[in-house]
Parts: sequence; structure tokens; C-alpha cells
Amino acid sequence: MKSKLTPIILASIGALLIIGSFFINDLFKSGDLDVTIEKADFIMPAAHRVYANPQALNGKYYLFKAKITNNTNRTLEDVTVKYQIPGYIDWTELTVSGEMFPGQTLVVPCYPKFEDKITEKTTESVEKAQIHISWDGATKDDTVEEEFSFKLTNRNEYVYTGIKRDEISTWSDMFDNDALIACFVTPNDPIVKYYTQNLQEKLMKGENASVSNKPEDGIRLLASIYEGTRKSHMVYSGTKGIPQSTEDVQSIVQQVRLPREVITGNTGLCIELSCLYASVLSAAGVDPIIYLIPGHAYPGFKMQGQYYAIEATGINGEGLGGIMDAEAAFKKGSEQLAEFFKAAQNGDPRYTLVDIHAVNQDGATAMDLRDDQFLRGKVDQVVALWSGGTPVDNNPNQQPDTRGPGNNTIVIPDDNIRTSALSFTIPNGWQTYMKPLPEMPILTAQVMAPDQLTTVSIYDIPVGSAQQAMSTIEQYFSNYGMSSQYQINGSTIAGQTYSNNGTFNWVGKALRANGGIRIVAVGAPDYAYNQKTNEINRIFNSIR
Amino acid sequence: MRSTEFLIASDNMKTLKFLFTVFIVMAFMNVHSQSQQKIDMKLDDVGNSKLTISMTMNGQQWQMWLQSLGNNPAALKREAQRSMPAYFLDDFNLEKNDMERSFVLSLNAYGACKVDKRGNWILETDQKNANLTEITSHKYMLVSSPPEFGGTVQQTFTIEFPEEARNITVEKDAFGKSIFKFQMKNSTAGFNIMLWAGILFLVMGGAWLVKNLAQK
Repeated sequence: MKSKLTPIILASIGALLIIGSFFINDLFKSGDLDVTIEKADFIMPAAHRVYANPQALNGKYYLFKAKITNNTNRTLEDVTVKYQIPGYIDWTELTVSGEMFPGQTLVVPCYPKFEDKITEKTTESVEKAQIHISWDGATKDDTVEEEFSFKLTNRNEYVYTGIKRDEISTWSDMFDNDALIACFVTPNDPIVKYYTQNLQEKLMKGENASVSNKPEDGIRLLASIYEGTRKSHMVYSGTKGIPQSTEDVQSIVQQVRLPREVITGNTGLCIELSCLYASVLSAAGVDPIIYLIPGHAYPGFKMQGQYYAIEATGINGEGLGGIMDAEAAFKKGSEQLAEFFKAAQNGDPRYTLVDIHAVNQDGATAMDLRDDQFLRGKVDQVVALWSGGTPVDNNPNQQPDTRGPGNNTIVIPDDNIRTSALSFTIPNGWQTYMKPLPEMPILTAQVMAPDQLTTVSIYDIPVGSAQQAMSTIEQYFSNYGMSSQYQINGSTIAGQTYSNNGTFNWVGKALRANGGIRIVAVGAPDYAYNQKTNEINRIFNSIR
Repeated sequence: MRSTEFLIASDNMKTLKFLFTVFIVMAFMNVHSQSQQKIDMKLDDVGNSKLTISMTMNGQQWQMWLQSLGNNPAALKREAQRSMPAYFLDDFNLEKNDMERSFVLSLNAYGACKVDKRGNWILETDQKNANLTEITSHKYMLVSSPPEFGGTVQQTFTIEFPEEARNITVEKDAFGKSIFKFQMKNSTAGFNIMLWAGILFLVMGGAWLVKNLAQK
């Protein structure tokens, strides 16, 4: 009996070990898949084709990137990563890894393919992305599920940067999305094509810049686009540009009207006019360029290695002194171009250009827009103004009081900076400090909330325009190691100021006062801006 | 001048797209002499990679590089991470030698190799007809001159596979691009001491029992 007992015990121990090994494996196999997610904070519908293309702009525009490490002690088979964005993208498989060994890391970037109709989105929303990771033999408890939220902007919104606020250190960082401007250049939009055809046919009586490849023909086309906007009485006007923040990213978010909206609305901001010019130039086969300088943008083209530019806002704009003719606008553009290259060659990172076709080739392509008979009708109305032969009054001092097809003068719009003094309501309990910084004489006063967070600053700068005023303020700021990023929309200015103490978000208004420009700005540190928004808006709206 | 036009430059080899970042400054200059860049890529037994990039520049290049990235390693790191979205990068280390106008940058790239559905390890070059030279059975050299830099930069890569790698072959993927394919047994996978001890005990016990029964 004893001779049988020992081997039976030995075999039983073996059987127990074999069974136990499976249980031990099961104990270790779950909960040890380490997942790290890097996500985008903003997704712009206008750039949906960039997000969908892993090759576009070096693939840096992804929705998320997952790092999955197998920290179990066994090999996982057929590891599958899926994601969905409810309401936009159904469950979509990103990758299947045949085997994933212990210690192995799988990196899965997600380039979401939104439907084309996303370009019809006219409101901003916060959406959720859900991620699901599973493998062969995984039970429901084993699988990994993650989710995060992101801001899906409307089709007109352009987010200046996607770099985390903690990492922003240079001007370029604040405008990291420059290349995505190309997504707002829409040469294939049927409405833009129709406008371009009309321009070539009715205004230019034939155009061959892209065929002849002669700069003079390109300049003629550029001047004709300008004449088209001028003869249709297009006006310069601002749109909303406000700082927005998410958990990690803080950026100015600018409303950019699409070229079709600029044509049919007959109004545009500098960047919008630049996108219109670039669209028409591109539709005509010429290489469009958008030049970006601090606080401004202007269009042009590249031909035979040479760059050309025009001041598109010469049709009328704040600080530009009324309506220029095409020759003056081109002259102004050329002067700006000379300054541009001088600054750029000196290494000033604030002077950048976007070569639209080059960026298109790298995947930043325009959104798809549908044909629209109503908009074609609006284009016809605009084109009718050209043939109406309405003469342009180039005297900025005259302010005609009527407009319309029957009127043979065009209206120079009201100067955006008004000529009355600015005032605002100071809440009870706030402290006012007159001339708080003797070294900064342009700072007339500061009004501070009791919690020292919300601050109103009043500047009086002896210059002629809001742009010059902001440049002067920036010069003073630089003495204190501070820098600003801002956007001027008519009389409204919004921006951020960076210093060793952090980021300060602000909004303000500008007007002519005391022979110069007065700027009243109200804001708070970025960490408190959201909680102070109501207070800031109340003061901002009270500025008169 | 930082031009978006220049941002279209990208390297051919996925894993080495990062070089674009290191070299972004080169696009700003009219460099007519050819510069050399050396990149060592050492793979481990779980498909991660240790990258070491070294380069010596002329005086003008060095000043420009310092101005843009050399003196801002955090920006260098971020640009590298953004330039290589297919990988996770960490453990950056930058050593500059101002006297020699050179730098050595090292970093870890996770997920450099992938395993296909048949269990083969794959390292993509993302390059058609890559100019590869076998140095040893586990070490290859690739020389390229990215067209983005107008032939002004010559990059020499050495790719070292781990000892565990077997049957390393250079093949083409469905798009005609060169890839490395190899097999690799994971040292930490497949051996379960408890299972094998159990089998051993079971066999020994069984054999002993059979033997005893046979003797009776």
C-alpha cells in the first residue's frame, strides 16, 4: 500500500500544481494592462480632413494616442483597440496586434474620420470619445474602457494653438495651428468657383496668370480681386475672438467666416479677406500665400520664386485711413512685404507665412462645401455691383450717408474706434489706483477687485490706432519680461498676457480719446478666469 | 523665418521623423555644404527602441540651432513628441558640446516594432527601396539624404536588433516599402514554472506508480 501512496501523492501534487498554475495566471492576467492616453482638447470641423489623415502635417493632429503596456505575465493574443464618438463616429477598430508579449508596449494613434457633413456644424459642443481594449479570451472584467471629453468647435472656429498652456514658451507656440488656416481656403467651393469665374469673365475680361506664369499677370489678378471687393462695397468688419480654455489648453478661438460667407455677406476681417483672396488665387491656378504678422494678416502669391502681396483691408479698415485704390493697396502690401522679410530674416518668429498649396500637399486641405442656389444668387447680386460701374470715392474725409445699388458712391463705414471717452461701472468695494506704475506713464489707472484677481486697466497711448496702441503697450510689457497675444476686432480687443506670474486673460475696448487711443481692459489670471467670467462680462459690457 | 511652408518637411523613416525636428533649423539657412547626422537605434526584446542622435554643425548652423531648439530642450522634446505621433517618447537626454559645436541626444521610443497577426515582429522604414547594408546578422546600416533638405544632410542610421531576434529579413510591405521582419521569443513569456513543475511531478508520480504496479 505504501509503495502506491508515495507516487500517488507525487502525482496529485503535480496535478494540483498544473491546476494552480492556471488559477495563478488568472490572478495576474487582469488589471495589469497599463493604459496612458494623450488627447486633443479641441477638434475643428474645418480641419476634419487633417485629423483623418495620419500623414497630414506629420500626423501631429490626432484625436488621441494610447500607450498600452502588457504588464501581465502572459502573452495576449489579438489585442484589439476600438473607439467611438457617440453621435459622430460608431465603434471603429484602430488596430489588432496579433500577439502582445509581457512588457511589450503598443502605441495606437487615432485619426478620426468624421463625415463631411461635420462642416455644417454651426455650434460648439463638448463631445466624448470612448475607447475599448480587448483581446482573445478576455472576460468583460478584463477589458479596458476609457473615455474623455473634448471640445468640438463650430465650422467657423479657428483655434490658434493646441499646445498645453504649461508648455507655451514662444510666440510660435501660441500660434501653432498656423498651417490649419489652409483649411479655411476653399478654392473648390462651388460658390467661390462661381465668383472666380465671374471675376475672370466680367471684371478682368480674361485672365491667364497661371498660364503665362508672368508676375505682372498675377499682380493683375490680385488687383482684380481687390477691385471686385471694392466695387461690391465690401467692408471690413470684426468677428468674435475670445480666449477659451480646457483642462490643459488655453487659446484664442477666432470666428473665421468662410470665403463664401465673405463674398455673400460682403464683409470680412483681415484673415477672412486673406482666405478669400487665397481661395480665388488658388481657383485661378496661382500659388496663394497668407502672410501673418502680429495682429494682422494679408494675402499675396508666389510666382517664379518671388513673393507678392496686397493690403486686402484697404477697401476700408480701422487704422488704414479709408478706401485705397488697387494700386495703393498693392503698394501698401509691397511695403508690408519688405518689412515682413526684414523681420523674418532677423529671426522674428512673429512673422510667418502660409504657403497654401504647399500646406495642402502636406494634407491640410479645404473642407467640402455644397453648392447653394441661394448663395449663387447672392454672388450674382455682388457681380451686378461691378457692372453697375459704381465709382469709388477715395477721399476718406467724406462720409457718404447712403448706400445701395442705386447709389453711385460707396459708404466708408463708421470708424470702429469712437470719439467719446470710455467709462465703465466700478463695482462697490473696488480699489482705484491712479498712475500705479510711474515707469509706465501710459497706464492711467488700475481698478482692482477686493480679492485682487479681477483687474481693470486703463491705458492712454498717444498713437493713431488701436494696433499701434497695443504695440506700445507690448513694448512696455517687454521691459517687465511680459508678452501678450491679442486679437483686435473693431473696437474690441481680447488677449492673454504672459509673465513670470502666469497667464492673464483679458478683454477690452479701444477708442480715440485725448488725441490718442484709450484702452480699457478687464481680466483675471487664467486659473480664475472662468469663475470670474460673469463679473468680467458685466464690467466689459458696461464700458461705454 | 519660421514658415509653415517649411513645416511640410518630413523624414522618410517613420521612427526617425524626429530628425525633422532636430533639423528644422536647417531649412532656414542656405546651407550648401553637406552635413552628417548619425542615428543609432537599438531595439530591445519587447520592441522598444533606444535612439541616440549625434551631429556636428558649422558655426552658423550651431548658432541657429541653439537659438531655436538647442537652448530650449523642453521645446525640443515637445517637437520630437509631436513629430513622432506613432510612438511614445521619454527619457530624453541632451548633451551639448559648445566647443565642438556638436550634440548627442538620446531618448526611448516605445512601440517602435509591432507584431503582425502571424506573430512576426515588424519594423517599418516607410521607405521604398531603402539603401540598407547588413553589417552583422543583427546590425544594419541605412544611409539616406532626405530630399526635404535638398541633399544638404546625409543621415546614417545603424539599426541594432536584440540578440533574441531570429531570421531577420528585409522585405517589402503591400505598398512596396522596405520593412524588417523577424521572429523573437519573449524572454519573459511562455515559461510557467508552476505548470512545468506540476507536469514533472505528475509524470514522475505516474511512472513510479506504474513501475511499482509492474513489480508486483
